[in-house]
Order: sequence, then structure tokens, then C-alpha cells
Amino acid sequence: MIRGGFRFDCRGPHSFVLFFAFLPFLIVLTTTVALADPPDSAYLSELIPRARSERLADAREWHALLHYRRNFLGGYTSEQDGPTFFLAPDGKTNPQAELEATLVKFFSDDLIGEAKQTVQCAFVARYHWLREKLAFDDRRLSPRICEKFNNWMDGLNPRSITLIFPSAFMNNPASMFGHSLFRVDRQDQTPQTRILAYTINFMAEVPDDEGIMFAVRGLTGGYQGLFSVIPYYLKVKEYRDIENRDIWEYRLNLSDAQVRRMLMHVWEMGNASFDYFFFRENCSYQLLPLLEVANPEWRLTDQFTWWTLPGDTVRLLTKQPGIVGDAVYRPARTTQIRRRYERLSSDERGVLGRVLREPALVRDPAFQQLPVERRALLLDIASDYLRYQSVTDEKQAETYKSRDREVLVARSELKVKSDDTPIEPFVTRPELGHRTSRIGVGAGYRQDEWFEEVSLRASYHDLLDPEPGYAPGYQIELLSGALRHYERAGQTRLERFTLANVMSLTPADALFLSPSWKVNIGMQTLRHNGCRYCSAGVANGGAGLTFETHLLKREYFFGFGELETTYSRAFEEKHRAGGGGTLGMMADLTDRWRLLASATYLRFPLGEKSDEVRWSVGQRYTLAKDAALRFEFSHRERRDNEALFTIHAYF
Amino acid sequence: MNRLLILSLAVVFAGIQVGTAGADELNRKPYGDGPGCGLGSQIFPDGSKTMLHQSMAATTNMSFSQTFAITTGSWGCTNNGKFVSIEHAAMFANLNFENLSQEMAQGGGEHLASLATLMGVPAEQQPEFFALTQEQYPSLMQAGKESPAAMIKTLDAVMVAHPALAKVSLVR
Repeated sequence: MIRGGFRFDCRGPHSFVLFFAFLPFLIVLTTTVALADPPDSAYLSELIPRARSERLADAREWHALLHYRRNFLGGYTSEQDGPTFFLAPDGKTNPQAELEATLVKFFSDDLIGEAKQTVQCAFVARYHWLREKLAFDDRRLSPRICEKFNNWMDGLNPRSITLIFPSAFMNNPASMFGHSLFRVDRQDQTPQTRILAYTINFMAEVPDDEGIMFAVRGLTGGYQGLFSVIPYYLKVKEYRDIENRDIWEYRLNLSDAQVRRMLMHVWEMGNASFDYFFFRENCSYQLLPLLEVANPEWRLTDQFTWWTLPGDTVRLLTKQPGIVGDAVYRPARTTQIRRRYERLSSDERGVLGRVLREPALVRDPAFQQLPVERRALLLDIASDYLRYQSVTDEKQAETYKSRDREVLVARSELKVKSDDTPIEPFVTRPELGHRTSRIGVGAGYRQDEWFEEVSLRASYHDLLDPEPGYAPGYQIELLSGALRHYERAGQTRLERFTLANVMSLTPADALFLSPSWKVNIGMQTLRHNGCRYCSAGVANGGAGLTFETHLLKREYFFGFGELETTYSRAFEEKHRAGGGGTLGMMADLTDRWRLLASATYLRFPLGEKSDEVRWSVGQRYTLAKDAALRFEFSHRERRDNEALFTIHAYF
Repeated sequence: MNRLLILSLAVVFAGIQVGTAGADELNRKPYGDGPGCGLGSQIFPDGSKTMLHQSMAATTNMSFSQTFAITTGSWGCTNNGKFVSIEHAAMFANLNFENLSQEMAQGGGEHLASLATLMGVPAEQQPEFFALTQEQYPSLMQAGKESPAAMIKTLDAVMVAHPALAKVSLVR
């Protein structure tokens, strides 16, 4: 079972940093070439037997450095796929040969790779590990000076590593599950200068205009994945300012030696590339081998057999005792706007609306009489909002930018600090969320008979799943199915199967008139004409609006216009197609108890002409982080009523 | 959205040529470690500014990223005093102009603190630096219309006149 061909945020057609850009273009000022040794074949012939007798090629460290994984035949295969990474012709599958070839090449001054370095420098982590294990005699195997590597390390000036998790972004299928990358925190860094640190990213290199081949190649490893190192401020700009995604930063507790070992290995990645598999060996997965090099005792990649979701890697790391230190939250621009807007009185909201349309109003007495802190707050919100608008409405961008300039000039005249009350996230930390695969056992009553069912879902989250760690109103179900046994009919059947069921309920308010949308493709069981339990292929999609209230705790009211087409032998002409609308409500009664109700009317002018009224009421009660109860009642055409009680476990 | 990002970064990048000119002008006395350490030479190994147009014309992501990741770091150069920091500051201002203009008006923020750090302003003097950028906001933005590097130059000039910040000014 796989989680579909979604790309996990590893930028494709527009990815702007595709590989270890700095390597081949590094300008070396003075090339200090160590004088070539007289090739000490005697020393080499001492080292190789020692490496054999100490079984270094079987060591966990060596496997981590070379990305070897056990294969089906009991041997090892490296996940690395590029041409310059292995020094032995059969290095991909032969750890011993690779180790010996590496020792041979350590004596060489040949320059390899695009960056033209000696093997000792290109594979500096291997060198340091073998040097320590075999206690190299520097007089007989002289250490090469790795100026490029040293300069690079000086540029990074590393102190620690932070895992960065930009949260899910619904409006781009590549980003629907979030993303993850590392930041290399600097020695001289303060909380205010974190953005100057560099990041380590793994991304696929996808040419433009790939069309349908994009999915095919993505699933079959047809793209190359490479590491890149770029400043964090560019990532903050991309995620926080442009895509409006919250970012979580988890400081990892690595020792100085571990940080250094990991970065030496990152340097080696300049000569590596990996076939990119969207659902497993993706941007999130490829960060884990770096940590395994840092600490070979950690076994992280083994935990992922079929797929790797960024959120799962965060959960995995936070679950290991002692790896993860403090977490820092960096709100998306829209989160900051919404939280600050909540602090305004209704009068102030009116003032803000007018200022956004006509910034010159800040010179009016009506505005000037407000306390200076409130004026500063209003102008700060206005500036953020105008910047948000200039990004989302490209045609009017210039108008918004010029209004923003006017607002900022007025702001610069107020010599008060901006409101620094911490911005609370709308979504709790991702590692607090349930795991993404789900199994359910249920029983119920449909059409005057009892049934039992088991259900299984590959991923990810639906509206009635426990909310912590996931955005409210956010649903992605991929590959989900239920097997049901009807007692009286004596029939066991595939009751339903979901290929993809995606829904985004984004509350619209005075500031953000975001649309809500949904797409559902799958198979259902329906009753129609003479057919009591009929399989039907269904595709449904719609767009609408959601409004949020806080009458009890939090309620969402939503409406959709939608189109639906169904294929089933139950229908005349075997299909029907049409459209209609849905009204619904999602309400949190307590932290654990949620109610979801909706009613739909559809009219089908194509195929079998008919219409249908459906409604359903579902409730969920959360038992624990990874367990919940659910009770659903649904009505479909005529007397097709169903009650279902399920217990869900997440794994 | 991605397209938008690339567009905005490309626009920013297009400003680098201006930025380079600004930095060159500022950099009356080159303190670099020799060939290969200047901003221009990092972007264009042969020092030719027309290469910018070539790489932009190719508009492949790759050429963009190559120049990008190099130029924003100090690869191959030791931070030999003011030369590197002025060009790194100009580069940073290019890439973060909008956030900087917002934070200068507000009198603080992480982009502004990072810029101060790149310009060599020690942490204890940064509040004065923030106040100065807020004070001088209209003139800084006027210069920023020309180019972010011109804004840095103007900023540096007002620092010279400031009692506490003069000694970290980059020009002399």
C-alpha cells in the first residue's frame, strides 16, 4: 500500500535550488596541493588486511556513510545512485570492495568530481572515520589539505542542527503533507539572527513541462534527488511570507563531534545523487541518513518501509529520548495577521478596513486620537495585510505595495515597539498529532440488517480524526477501504474504497475570503432501483465557503456547490451525472468531542435522470492520542439508512 | 505560488547588478583576499557583468541557484574585515528588501538585527541602530527606490554622523 504519487514539497518544476551549487563553482584562491607521496604500497598492503580483520566493511558506521541497506538477497545495496560516489566499480553492492578502493584512493592526488578535490577531501567523513579506526600513520599516508572543505565549514560556522518543519500547505499537492529540512545553526547566532544560518535540503530535480510523466517518473524513481545548502532567510521568505505556512523549529541535541561528522558527510553529498521516490526516498527520508551518520546508534531509516511523511519523521525524532531539544514556533504571516486582528475592538477593525483602502486616513484626527500603541498595532496589521494582498493578487500588487509604503512611513513616525505578545498557533505541534495510518473495527445497522466491518486507511487525516497536530477543516484521505459483512444477506463485500478524498474548509472572514473546496474519488455501496447493495464508482468535486463561529467552543458552517458523476450497474445506462449543493456544520463540543453534520441535494440530468437527498451526522470522541470512537448516522435515497459505530486506532 | 516565488526572487536577483555596482562604488579600497573574493567575481568568475544577463536569459533554475548559493555565502573568502560584510549586507538587503523596509519602520525585527550583524553593529548597539533606521526611514526608502545597495550606502552614511555608530560604519 502506498500513499499515492504526491510529492512531498520537494520542489519540482520551479525548484530554484537543485544541487550542491557551491561545490563546482567554488573559487579557490591558492590551491595548496600536497606533494604527492611516493606511493607507499607497503603501507597500503598493511592497511587492507587490518581493515579486513577488523571487519570494518561490516561496521554500522561504514554502512551509514555509504547509505547501504540490506537487500532482499541478504546482501547490501546502497541507496546512492550517482556515478562519482563509489570508488569501486561494484561499490553500490559491495561494501568490502568499496572500503578497499577507498583506502587505495586515499594515497592518490587525482582530483575527482566537479569540485576537483582529492579523494581524502571529497569523502572527508570516510577519511576521518578510517583514519581513526586504522590509526593512519600520517607520515606514510599524508593527510591532504582540504581547503575547499575547510572554507565551506568556516562559512557554516556550525554549532548545532535544527530540524525545520514547514506545516502542510493545502494549495499545492506537493506540499500537502508538509516538508522538512535541516538548519545549521551558527556559533555566533542569536535568536534574532537565526535567519542567517544555512539550511540543508534534499529535493528532486524536475524539468519544466513534465505533464503526466511527472507522476510516472516520480513513482518510479525517474528523477534525481540532490542536496543543496542555501540560507534560511530564503526558506523563511518562501514558507512564511509567500505560502503562509507556519514553521516549527526543533533543536536537535547533537554533540559537537556529531554535528561535525554529519556536516562532513553533507560535504560528501556533493558527489552523490539519489533516485527520488515520491513516497519513500523523498526529501524527508533523505535527512535521516545524515542523522545516522551523526550517531550510528540511531536506526531511523529502518522505521520507514513504504512511505515517509514529513510529519512522521518529526514524530519519530521527538519520540526518541533525548534527540530533540526546544521547539520554536514561527507563525505564517496570515497567522500573525489573524491573531493580531483578534486583539482589535470592533471600532478598531472598522478603522483598519478604512486605512487598508485609503492609507491617507492615518493623517485624520479620527486616527490620530487613538493611543499610540493602538495606532502602531493597526499599522503593523495593515502593513502585513497589504503585503499578503500584494503576493496573492498579482494584478493589483503595485497598488498594495504603494499603500504599504504609505502605511510604513506613518509607522516609522511612531517611536513605539511593535506588540510583541507571542503569536499562538491555530494548530498544535505536529508531533502531538495522531499517527497517519488507521485501522477501524465497527458494527452497525443498514437497511434492516446488522453488519460488522473492518476498515484500513493508508493515510492521513479526516475531519473527524482527533485534531491535535492537524489544521482544523483539513482532510486528506488516501487509499482507504472497508470490508463489511452483512448478517442477513450473508454477504461479505468491499463496502467502500477511497482513492483520494480531500477537503479544505478554510474559514472566510473580513480579511481572508478564502474558498473551501473538496474532491472525492472512490467506490461506494449504494442501494438503487432493484439493487440492494450495488458497487458504484463515484467522483465528486465542489467549491464553497466556510464561516467560523465561537458560540460554544468552535463551529464551522460550510456550503458547497458541487458536481458528481457515478458509474454503477444499478443505473439505467449504467451511470448518472449532475450537480447540486451541500450545507454542513462541524462543531467542537469539547476538546475530545466533535460533531459533523451535512445535508446534500443532487440532481442528475445525465445518464439515469434522478435526484437524491442525503444527510449524515457523525460524532467522534477522542480516547487517546492514537485512539478514537466514532458514531455515524447517514441517510441516502429512499430508506437507505445506516448507523455505524467504530473504534479507530492510529499506527 | 511557486511561480510567484520564482518571479519575486528573480526580480530581486535582477537587482543584484545594481547592487553590485553600489557595492563596488562603496568599496573604494578593496580589502578582499584577492581575485575570487569580490561579490562580482563570485557571481561572475571572469568579472564580466554581462554574464548576469546570460544566466538570466537562460533562466534555468540551475544557473540561478548556482550563483545564488555561492553569492549569499562567504565561500572561498575569509571574512577579512569590512569588504565581505559590506557586500554580504548589500546582498542580504537585496534579497530581503521588503522585510527590511517593514522592520525599519517598526524599529526592530530579525531581518533588521541580521542586517545590523552583517554590517558589524554589535548587539549592544543594535537598539541605537534600529532607532536610527526608524528616524531616517523616508530617506532610506528614497534611496531604496534606486536600489537596496544604495539604501545600504545611505544607511552607512548616516551611521558616520551618529555618535555611537560611527565607529562601526563600513566606509572608513
